[in-house]
Amino acid sequence: MKKSFVVTMAAALSLSLLAGCGAGGADNASGGAAPKADAGKSGEKVKLSIWHNYTGEDLRAKTMRSLIDQYKKDHPNVELDVQGIPPDGYRPRLKTVAAANEMPDLFVMWPGVMTKEFVSGDLLQPINELLDSKQDWKNNFMPGSFDDFTIDGKTYSAPMALSPTSILFYNKEIFNKYNVQPPKTWDDMMKLVDTFKKNNVTPIALGNKAAWVAQSSILSSLADRVTGTEWFLKAVDQNGAKFTDPEFVQSLTYLQQLGKAGAFQDGFNSIDNTQMEQMFAQGKAAMMIDGGWALTNLAANASKEALANMAVTVLPSMPNGKGDPNTLAGVVGTGLGMSKKVAGAQKQAAYDLIYALSGPEAQKAILDGNNLVSYKAELDTTKASPIFAEVYKMMGNVKRTPVYDGKLSSSAADVVNNGLQELLMGGKPEDIAKKIQDAAAKAVGK
Amino acid sequence: MTKASRITGFITIGLVPALVLYLLFVIVPIFWSAYYGFFDWKGIGAAKFIGLANYAEVIKDPIFWKAFKNNMLVVVASVFGQVPIAMILALLLMRSTLFQRMIRASVFMPMVLSSVVVGIIWGYIYHPQIGILNFMLDGIGLDSWKKAWLSDPKISMYALMVPIIWNYIGPYMIMFIAALQNISPEVEDASKLDGVGPVRKLFAITLPMIWDTVKVAIVLCISGSLKAFDLIYVMTGGGPAHSTELLASYMYNSTFNVYRFGFGSAISTAIIILSLILITGSQYLMKRDYR
Repeated sequence: MKKSFVVTMAAALSLSLLAGCGAGGADNASGGAAPKADAGKSGEKVKLSIWHNYTGEDLRAKTMRSLIDQYKKDHPNVELDVQGIPPDGYRPRLKTVAAANEMPDLFVMWPGVMTKEFVSGDLLQPINELLDSKQDWKNNFMPGSFDDFTIDGKTYSAPMALSPTSILFYNKEIFNKYNVQPPKTWDDMMKLVDTFKKNNVTPIALGNKAAWVAQSSILSSLADRVTGTEWFLKAVDQNGAKFTDPEFVQSLTYLQQLGKAGAFQDGFNSIDNTQMEQMFAQGKAAMMIDGGWALTNLAANASKEALANMAVTVLPSMPNGKGDPNTLAGVVGTGLGMSKKVAGAQKQAAYDLIYALSGPEAQKAILDGNNLVSYKAELDTTKASPIFAEVYKMMGNVKRTPVYDGKLSSSAADVVNNGLQELLMGGKPEDIAKKIQDAAAKAVGK
Repeated sequence: MTKASRITGFITIGLVPALVLYLLFVIVPIFWSAYYGFFDWKGIGAAKFIGLANYAEVIKDPIFWKAFKNNMLVVVASVFGQVPIAMILALLLMRSTLFQRMIRASVFMPMVLSSVVVGIIWGYIYHPQIGILNFMLDGIGLDSWKKAWLSDPKISMYALMVPIIWNYIGPYMIMFIAALQNISPEVEDASKLDGVGPVRKLFAITLPMIWDTVKVAIVLCISGSLKAFDLIYVMTGGGPAHSTELLASYMYNSTFNVYRFGFGSAISTAIIILSLILITGSQYLMKRDYR
């Protein structure tokens, strides 16, 4: 009787012990190897773990996976533990291991808020050493590329992508049919909406079920044109500007005006951004405001003729706007972060891997896979789709402005997202601005 | 030792493993989560003790109460939708002819599908542009009834009830059929001899005989609806603007999208308390015996 109790307890205990050990394996590997030992040549085995979200069948994922495979081939002595996690579940999983302080050695991470949170949790180590050792590489990044990965003068990653978030896509065939031009001013835009409505064409496709689309793609640029970038950065820090200021309320009013004029199709809050891209690709809407990520989706799903019909521009200028109209909201994309625990021979191997995935050749490979990069590389126009080439050209001519959820804390961004859904269903701009202001003030502790 | 005490001892040992696991993985985390509710914690870095501030925020939070109201709607729709429909179907499909077994299988089928699949299917049925529902309404000339089913906050919650009810009728029906088949034929024969009509028989004999099963079904129904999450998460994600938010989805969003682990923990503790109150309340109400 007693014996079986002991056995059960032992079983339960060993189970809990096993669970506790699972993730600790990686940091035992650092061992006593001399720092700076060249991992590529020395004979001893180095263990390294990496987490990424390149699990899909799109060009970018394939490019990144092949770069990782190439690294494995070039570094036979590195025992690389690769974990691919589907993009939807990647962020929560990374945050969860971060909470438990069980980070993998290297991981794909986002600039801005996430980097800031990880640094404040003392989970990362800077890669300035690597950047400084390869000046040519460092200097070839576009201006501002490292800003969102840099905290207190230390840089924690190098971006492997560039994501403009508010490109205005339009369908040339529909525009020609009704003999109209892409909008240059807000008045043009409202007139266009009117024209298309009269002819039973959906003016702008929108898929706002996940709620970030209206914020990231439309408001980020629209509000920047009205308020100017400086105001926004001040409002984020709650330092001399508030989201209840008239200019921000005015931006919300413009967005609502667009919604009230019937610019978006019915039920836009219940379809997601993929369905919105399909709608536009099938020629069921004249315009779409979407990010650079749409390019890969469109290249994979839209027909050749449909792609040839697409053109891009920036959002129109706003009346009396304080912001520069020749801009696009955008963020640099993900980069590889390095865990604080990486040391010794592991560190060199990790540096090599970062360089293999974000170095000059990698950037070129990513660009050739129809993905924008924040790095000066020649685009091979024979490989890229025409619409991609056009976006790439446009990116060289416009300035980049911040994206709302790239700067705001996650909780404030969530309030903006839900607030915009409410706004587009008829909520009062002043009330929504108030809610956003409360959340933003709370996030910075004021 | 007497035989009786040996049996009790044996039962105790038999229960221990399950009990230990249950305590370790269910009961302990509940208290753990209640404890996290006292902290301001982003999930990373230091947690700051803030006393009851999270709990106070939950109680004052209009979105939380909106979610609670939506959850209550789901409970009501489930108890008064799933249980009666399952009962009617069980009475109709009690016997086992080939036709009845086929219908039974098809009623049970959604239970076999993953709720994500069900959510996506219904998402397409309700789709504002290409949805089959709007298409059908068009076809029969009722195009004025066409709606953006999932994005109009006035109707989206009700639109979501239909798949929720549809999805979970199966298991209750099976439970009722099993209970109905357990009613002994003698009782039926006796009632026939006494000349009881069908309606009277249903209320005087059949329902009282299976009342215990109905009670179990109702409790399962309430606790199941309080946990409701997956279907709504897939179909609307709680949106637009929190209009279809449920307690569980609000807890999930606060914890894993907004990364306020302390606040999320406070919400889950509130969910536990509210659920306990509801379950105890319903148990108490049903104590009044039908028999």
